[in-house]
Amino acid sequence: MIGWLAAHPWQGVIVAPFLGAAVAMAIPHARLSWAAALLALIGAAFIAADASLRSVAPHPADGASMFSAPLLAVLAALCAFAGGGALREMRASVAPFAMALALCIAGGWTFALLSADWIGLALGVETAWLASAALVALAEVKRGALNGALRMLASGGVAAALMLVGIGFVARATSSTEIAALLNADNAALCIAGLVVVLIALALKAGLAPLHVWAGAAFGSTGALASMFLGVVGLTGALALMVRVGAAAAAAPQLATGVEAMLAALGAASILIGSVQAMGAANVRRLAAYAFASQAGCVLLSVSLGSPAGFAAALVQMFALAAAMLALLGATAATRDASLQALDGLGRRHPVAGVAVTVGALSLMGAPLTIGFLGRWRLIEAAVGAGWWWVAGIALLASLAAVFYGGRLIERVYFRRAASVATLDKDPWRVLIAPTLAAAIFAIGLGVEPSVLLEASARAAAHMFGGAP
Amino acid sequence: MSVGLALLALLATPLAHAFAVLAFSRPPGLRDFVNIGFALAAAVLAIFVLNGVAAGESARIVLARPLPNVDLGFSLEPLGALSAVVVTGLGFIHAVHAVGVVRAAQEKAPARLMAFMALAMAAALAVAFSANLFSLFIAYQALILAAFPLVAHRGDEEARAAGRTFLATLLASSIVLLLPAMIGVYALAGALDFQAGGVLAGRVGVVGANVLLVLFVFGLAMAAMPPMHRWLTATTRAPYPTLVTVQALAVLPTGGLALLKVLAYVFGAALTTARASAIALLALACIGMCVAAAIALSRQDVRERLAYSCMAQGLAVVMGGLLALPAGLFAAALQIVATSCAATTLLMASGTVNAITGRTSVADFAGLGRVMPWTFAGFALASASMIGMPPFAGAWSRLWLITASASSDLVWAGALVGVAAVLTFAHLGPLAASAFAERAPADAFKRPDGASILLVAPVILSAAATLWVLVVADPLASFLSPVWTPP
Repeated sequence: MIGWLAAHPWQGVIVAPFLGAAVAMAIPHARLSWAAALLALIGAAFIAADASLRSVAPHPADGASMFSAPLLAVLAALCAFAGGGALREMRASVAPFAMALALCIAGGWTFALLSADWIGLALGVETAWLASAALVALAEVKRGALNGALRMLASGGVAAALMLVGIGFVARATSSTEIAALLNADNAALCIAGLVVVLIALALKAGLAPLHVWAGAAFGSTGALASMFLGVVGLTGALALMVRVGAAAAAAPQLATGVEAMLAALGAASILIGSVQAMGAANVRRLAAYAFASQAGCVLLSVSLGSPAGFAAALVQMFALAAAMLALLGATAATRDASLQALDGLGRRHPVAGVAVTVGALSLMGAPLTIGFLGRWRLIEAAVGAGWWWVAGIALLASLAAVFYGGRLIERVYFRRAASVATLDKDPWRVLIAPTLAAAIFAIGLGVEPSVLLEASARAAAHMFGGAP
Repeated sequence: MSVGLALLALLATPLAHAFAVLAFSRPPGLRDFVNIGFALAAAVLAIFVLNGVAAGESARIVLARPLPNVDLGFSLEPLGALSAVVVTGLGFIHAVHAVGVVRAAQEKAPARLMAFMALAMAAALAVAFSANLFSLFIAYQALILAAFPLVAHRGDEEARAAGRTFLATLLASSIVLLLPAMIGVYALAGALDFQAGGVLAGRVGVVGANVLLVLFVFGLAMAAMPPMHRWLTATTRAPYPTLVTVQALAVLPTGGLALLKVLAYVFGAALTTARASAIALLALACIGMCVAAAIALSRQDVRERLAYSCMAQGLAVVMGGLLALPAGLFAAALQIVATSCAATTLLMASGTVNAITGRTSVADFAGLGRVMPWTFAGFALASASMIGMPPFAGAWSRLWLITASASSDLVWAGALVGVAAVLTFAHLGPLAASAFAERAPADAFKRPDGASILLVAPVILSAAATLWVLVVADPLASFLSPVWTPP
């Protein structure tokens, strides 16, 4: 068994969450089910980290997967850990199903990310998406979650249709369903059209503006467990897939220009629309979703540069964004209430959650000594190097907007008093949030000594372009 | 103790100060003792470091390397050492005064106020000793974040609005203007380290130099260059210890210092390449200086009047730096020292008056000099320095500013310095004079025991410091000469 895992680590990373889901669903007790799910995800994270450290690439020239799959596995394990504190929000009989769905989300995105062909990619995406919609409905904390789930199903259905059409175009143009066959595309125009359609479908699922019609309803009314898995694992997984597809297209010179133009336009639109929506949001989870749209736009702009420096910047920013989302959504899991008013005086009532919100907000702003700053710097440096000054300008606009919505969060945490006297939360499982937030803070703290992250992103970027790591 | 260790201790002391004040917030006596003790320790360490720099010693501390070829580091250099002595020396005096004010005015959350004042001082020192543009940027951002709670300290809607203006103006300008300027320097020079003579010298074209200069001058909004000065005038309703920290000690002077470091160590000789924008910015600074002094004349609230007066003085620093001459840089450095001493005195004196009499209106100051002679003696001396009357500190910086303007064939700039001095006389002179000349009010004090020694002695001490520059002007010129002399 161990020998097989050592030889085929990435298969283990895919299988572990699905096996864990089956076990978690079979256990009728909520806490035991959670423990089984957590063990499965920790196992997957360990195998993925080991494979990545040993530089075992899932496929030739696939640096994006090598970087993103371990990140996704670790994020899923951390979300599951914090999910233990959020189980109190749902009925005990529902909890095993919720944990199983959460594991399916992690497994689905990982499968899509590690798949060598388009069919596997589509299958993984749809598995994760359907599980996400079901979890949103199941983890309802106020009326409207079902509406959010239905919106996800409807928009996801459109995205699935688009993805199949796009894959059909690409398969026709390359005479193959292998992703690596993009390099040999006979009909470049058809292939670009197919890739653009696939990327639009993925953008919808990554919550990129203006395609994120489902995000407000889903995040605004669901519970902490669903929002963490959807916001941290789901959105990051979809974004990582976009980076992977973008990298595959960038490696094929005849496809690069068209796909990069589309990514640049989508990235710029997402930054502008997402920033405006985040500034007006009155719910922390919605704000986080819109902020993700804005910041993910910066990731797409980095990818659109089409250079190894751009891809390295994209990976660093994706890492930073995932850490910030984990901190923000983890903190709302601790507060039980996702409204902005619930943050008033949080620094006094729940210092750990207050610190998490602050650090997450600072990273979104791109404040110095956070990974967010490093990612933004890398993007601007790469953009200036390529002569794309407008990209640098838009990235700065994203930071400026983040100052407003992030500053609003920090002001509420430390400079406002709670409207009503908060009751002391005596649930001992609440402390499970602390290691998750500590992990997010540690990840953001990599901004002080980022050499490991920079090296990993540079190695992955070199892999994408077929160079030596 | 080595000078490197002293530098590390100096940077760490205000941080320890902040945590200690919060840890020992009760009883009040212990809190106040800790507050004054740490401020004194920082001042002593700063003098030790200054002596080390004067003796030719050097030191560099590297905390991290977040980017290739870019350290988060601090190093010794004359401008930073001088600024550190001024900030910590006046900071010690202000720590004593702040203790008196929070006791007399019964300011809420005094430990928090003192802690964030210490954090602001820490960030100001970090700016002063920053070894490169990246470290300066980080310390500058830290200063914004540390000063924001001071501005919003009272927590009411007015304070929150002021805090938002403060944060939005300074953070937005630093992200939208200063950060691209820093990246531009990195793209051109491949490094961000400060070096005498300018890291950009010989590496930047005319367009690049002009664009970068504009980005730096407006990006460093703490220097209060119009129209980026809104943060300064928005803070006038904050508690007096905040006003001293923001306008006289940590924020406004640090803006000027950061700009001087950029002009001397990043541009250096390249400033002549950016002559077109330098002249335009110089004109804006000169006009802004006169307009700010004129607006101050129209304000009837002492806090607003002093805010505009400090802004006018701060713009004189910008002006000196932009003159692109050693004489201009020296004048700007002197101006930072003079403004810090005088503005600290004026604001502390006003704080004493407010704490004891509850008065903030200009008209209500009439006759108070007769019942608070020591406080208003300090007020008058500081006013004379702000106006530029010999032999006070402000006179020498003005003299050098006018000399540098004439040497640059910019006589109009020198003339505008004179106009600003006249306007400063108009808004501060009558205020100080009427305090002594008018009849004393019958109901002067709201506190029956008058002002305590904690409120009066600091005013006298900092007023005396305005005479200090008279004694040390010549040694200062040779001490600062490495700033404009390439190695």
